[in-house]
Amino acid sequence: MSRGPETVVEQPVSGYAASARRPGGRGLSAVLPGLPQLLGGRWGTGAMALLTWLGMGLILAARSDRVLAATAGGWDQRVALATLLLALLASWIWSWREVAEADRLKTVGVSQWDLAVRAFSKNRTAVAGMIVIVGLYLVALLTPFIAPHDPNTQYDLLTNRLVGMSAEHPLGTDQFARDVLSRLLYGARISLSIGFVAVGISVTIGTLLGAIAGFFGGFIDGAIMRFVDMVISFPRLILLITIIAIFEPSIFLIITVLGLTLWPSTARIVRGEVLSLREREFVQAAEALGYPKKRIILRHLIPNALAPVIVAATLGIGNTIVLEAGLSFLGLGVQPPTPSWGTMVAAGRNNLLGAWWLSTFPGLAIVFTVLSFNLVGDGLRDALDPRLRS
Amino acid sequence: MTQYVLRRLLGAIPLVLGIATIIFFLVNLAPGDPTLLLLSPGVTDEVIQQMRENFGLDQPVHIRYVKWIGAMLTGDFGYSFTHSRPVADVLMDFLPNTLILSASALLVAFLFGIVLGTIQAVRQYSAMDSSLSVVLLFFYSMPSFWLALMLILTMSLYARNVWGLPIYFPASGMMSTDYEFLSAGGKLVDRVKHLVLPTLSLALVLMAGIARYMRGSMLEVVRQDFVRTAHAKGLPERTVVFKHALRNALLPIITLVGLYIPFLFSGTVFIETIFAWPGMGRLIVEAIFQRDYPVVMAGAFFFATMVVVANLVADLLYAVVDPRIRYE
Amino acid sequence: MDMKTLTEGRRMGRQLLFVGALTAMAACGSEPVQRPIPGVAFCQEVLPAVEAYVAQARQANPVPDDPRYGGTAVLGSIGELADGMNAAVSSDYSATQHQQFVNLMTLIDYDENLEPRPYLAERVEIAEDNTSVTFHLRQDVFWHDGEQTTADDVAFTYEVVTNPLTAFPNAAYWDRYVQGSEGVEIIDDFTVRIHMEPHAEFLDPFRSLGILPEHLLGDVPPQELKQHPFGTQCPVGNGPFVFYSHSAQDRWVFEANPAFPEALGGRPFLDRYIYRVIPEQTTLLTELLTQNIDVYSGVAPDQAQRILDDANTELVDFPSRQYVFVGWNARRLQLADPRVRRAIAMGTDRERIVEAILQGYGTVAHSSVPPFHWAFDEGRIETIEYDPEEAAALLEEAGWTDRDGDGVRENAEGVSLSISVKYNQGNQQRQDVAEIMQSQLADIGVEVQPQVVEWATLLQDINTPELRNFDGVVMGWVVEFKLDDMDLFHSDRIDQPFAWSGTENPAIDRLLVELGTAVDRNMARELWAEYQNVLIEEQPYLFFYFPSRLIGVSSRLENVTMDQRGVWLSARDWYIDPASR
Repeated sequence: MSRGPETVVEQPVSGYAASARRPGGRGLSAVLPGLPQLLGGRWGTGAMALLTWLGMGLILAARSDRVLAATAGGWDQRVALATLLLALLASWIWSWREVAEADRLKTVGVSQWDLAVRAFSKNRTAVAGMIVIVGLYLVALLTPFIAPHDPNTQYDLLTNRLVGMSAEHPLGTDQFARDVLSRLLYGARISLSIGFVAVGISVTIGTLLGAIAGFFGGFIDGAIMRFVDMVISFPRLILLITIIAIFEPSIFLIITVLGLTLWPSTARIVRGEVLSLREREFVQAAEALGYPKKRIILRHLIPNALAPVIVAATLGIGNTIVLEAGLSFLGLGVQPPTPSWGTMVAAGRNNLLGAWWLSTFPGLAIVFTVLSFNLVGDGLRDALDPRLRS
Repeated sequence: MTQYVLRRLLGAIPLVLGIATIIFFLVNLAPGDPTLLLLSPGVTDEVIQQMRENFGLDQPVHIRYVKWIGAMLTGDFGYSFTHSRPVADVLMDFLPNTLILSASALLVAFLFGIVLGTIQAVRQYSAMDSSLSVVLLFFYSMPSFWLALMLILTMSLYARNVWGLPIYFPASGMMSTDYEFLSAGGKLVDRVKHLVLPTLSLALVLMAGIARYMRGSMLEVVRQDFVRTAHAKGLPERTVVFKHALRNALLPIITLVGLYIPFLFSGTVFIETIFAWPGMGRLIVEAIFQRDYPVVMAGAFFFATMVVVANLVADLLYAVVDPRIRYE
Repeated sequence: MDMKTLTEGRRMGRQLLFVGALTAMAACGSEPVQRPIPGVAFCQEVLPAVEAYVAQARQANPVPDDPRYGGTAVLGSIGELADGMNAAVSSDYSATQHQQFVNLMTLIDYDENLEPRPYLAERVEIAEDNTSVTFHLRQDVFWHDGEQTTADDVAFTYEVVTNPLTAFPNAAYWDRYVQGSEGVEIIDDFTVRIHMEPHAEFLDPFRSLGILPEHLLGDVPPQELKQHPFGTQCPVGNGPFVFYSHSAQDRWVFEANPAFPEALGGRPFLDRYIYRVIPEQTTLLTELLTQNIDVYSGVAPDQAQRILDDANTELVDFPSRQYVFVGWNARRLQLADPRVRRAIAMGTDRERIVEAILQGYGTVAHSSVPPFHWAFDEGRIETIEYDPEEAAALLEEAGWTDRDGDGVRENAEGVSLSISVKYNQGNQQRQDVAEIMQSQLADIGVEVQPQVVEWATLLQDINTPELRNFDGVVMGWVVEFKLDDMDLFHSDRIDQPFAWSGTENPAIDRLLVELGTAVDRNMARELWAEYQNVLIEEQPYLFFYFPSRLIGVSSRLENVTMDQRGVWLSARDWYIDPASR
């Protein structure tokens, strides 16, 4: 996927900036950003903006006390505050500018990137997944404001234990009389960050090694691919269990081990891409111009090889979250009392026939989160692969 | 071609040995050894020392390593501490169980994956395509142990006790307790009944990947000239799809089989635990917790070999299938 | 390659696979008449003899005409029977129970009042000076391969378990007996005498030790007993059930012994008894509720209600001989002062924890003496009650105050009262204990950090005298009816693996010695009361609770008696309700 030359077109292209329909125009946009776009048919981005605006507003209204306290609070709360303000600003400004731009004719390019974005936007399930993911990360960042209770506070063990859904505890309490909803929210942070960081590590290592292998070829390629083969052939689950069982399970260890075992597939993908890209003219031109190898790799090859990597990374985050749940099932997950979705599902599984809410909600959370990542990844794959578009 | 195969096989040997070495040192350098688990009040130091000698643990690590490699090359995988039997015997007991489970899971997954992927490709971007995507990915996104528990609760417990359905499935085991007294036909039915839930738990998760692959493959084939020609000739849709497109789309799927072979041995730990299935995954995990070194190493070694073989098989199948690819 | 061939091929492949599987199963022995015989040489010699004897015994002892006879009972539990029926090397609770009640026989057992009564031994004589016990064996007990059980077997078993080379896990039981062949005297074929020092509860070890066949194992070097196939592949016992087959990690199958002595009840009602290994508790519960298994041993407290609610199952609960505690490493700075340890006990609401974690199925423990023990008398011990204010005061007195306002106390040098509590991975209950402690103790300014450690690593951390790498550890001890805490608390044993707490208390030392030798129970009562009080004051452990053992039993299984003597206590009396067959 290269940023090829842009074709300049003098007229609005259909479906993109075509309809200058933004009912209500700037006025409506100033009060309810996203609504004009939503009414005008761009339901994906419109919904995101509107929901963000309304959501942040709700938080401000309902939790004003916490928001104010956050200015003097810990690191956690300040990040939440920053997120809140940024989200408000972002949705407002985006909506305003978007309405403004719709009024004039746009020169629109048909670069690969635009085609990809368009294809992606058509895919409703992928867009839905995107909204969920963005929403999840927002929620994770804003948890200090949203969570009704502290996730680790144990209420009265006699009266509040294993209580079902109620006004006080919207998703019930667990065997230690802790609020399930709050634990779910804080657990989101853990699960999401484990996924994100582990995949981040693996993508970085994999991309670098794959690019080097593909570019230099020969002995280096052989050596790196041998190494890749070895890591792939390793029984990964056994390795995970052995390492985590032997050293004490901690978030740090889990992330590291997961990251270090996921990179080989990325390396293979990148290597394949680089091998085919290497023969392209623009790379040969760069070489002819005498650019240093490092620059060629970093600024020419890698950015163009990223498409399948992004797809793999998105799918990888989902896989990692599921893996973490599996490790918790074996007792090797995150340590208590830190909540993570995996440990919540594992700890509640003896109660499936009684206090079913203990395992079900985190389980559903995992499924829908991973599902969203997978839908987005699928959508990206469809959008970025020219052969799959109709 | 034969040269290629030979070269790959030769190259695989250091690979497998390398993996085996890493695992050996990883497990043996871990804190704690099997004799610790036997410690109870009153067992003296000399006795523990004696046991260490019995197990061959008193020698330094590198000597143990050399001995182990030597033994392995002659096919002697050692003696399991916890099972009190030769490791090879133990593996032979557990291996077929895992094979049965994963083979049937793969069969079901491939069957349904191929069918569903084809449907999706033929009706690209329709409502059916999207909804199938979502449903398949829904199951793919579930932690397999959770899916297994849900299946047990619905199709075993609720089906029988709450909904009173005539058909419900046993929640665990490979066969019922009066298996020996059944007729041959009864035995088959019994085995199948016990296979249903574990197979579903595995297959539902795998299906999505295969369907996705099949869909992509079909779409690619459908855009090719010969399909267009078939359409131009006025052939009915059905013939085009089944007689022409499908065959060609299936070819890359075959190579996929090779890639899923490693799954045959490793993907089943959680399912085996929940369904009380005596398989390799459970065997190795429990051996890790009990520091039963010989079993862990033999199991890991075996698995690594399988992966290497699987990769080779996949590459070879690919060459068989695609005449444009030639290995020298 | 066209579609049709592919699908056909696939179908054929599937059929082949199943046929192959079936053949494999057949090879493992699937006819009901012929028992499967593992490939090991020992088993190939031994099991055919068993087969022949059982067949002949069936002929000689036809099944009585009583509708209760017949049927198969299935029991499911989480763990495998480690080391099987080899009484000389196993210490697993379920395995030893099968040795005592199912496959082997013990010399004596206990009645409902925990008084000894004859079993394999017909009569027991105790010497006046308490230095020896003489067992007169029954003469109608035969091993399942036809050999008679004689004094040789008892002598052999005794020598083996007192031989250090065997590494008998509960060697401490036999501390006060004369070890080896000097300790056992064969008077005649059915009379055997064992020599010992006078000490308390000297009959208890004979209640728990299954007798092994000398004619099969006599030639095996003791250090090789652990790896011998007798335990898990072809045990030969003399008890009410004959071993039939064992598939690893899956199931044990036993069948009724037709020649079991009439005086002891004769042939069990059940035709077969099967022990199934099912590692997941939800699955176990489902199997019980769908009537696939008859007994679920080891019900989790949170599942108890479900079993009570179901019309076809009953819940049996009885006090178990296990207590859960937090062992303190008193060598650590924060825990060296007994006042701190007592304050921690005061700051933990154990009643509430029993309610919460055990759903009330259990009792708070104040010492290592279980509530059903004859020496237990609540009136005479000064228990520590939950009193957070008192706890805070005690901590202040011991020099721990929150000097920097962070919610955690520090001492004069600024060291904070921060303790890590380790527990083994995979045990939900112990994790629960650690988590609740963390929350409750935070209220009195003590910071508790739960730390999960893998089992083998944890054992190394706490058992290695040079290491003792822990502050507190959540553990459980299973006690026999003879209590002996010498290895745990006596200062002489402080460098041995199990002296986790590093206790050096002269009162405890004295009491432990006296209790060990006090033969007369009445005299001992005083000492026991004193011992418990000293333990409470010293707090080497924070004793948490004695959990009850919960068993789910299908209502179609009758005659089920279970109490602290064991789960399989009445296995030979179980029968299946004829109406429900």
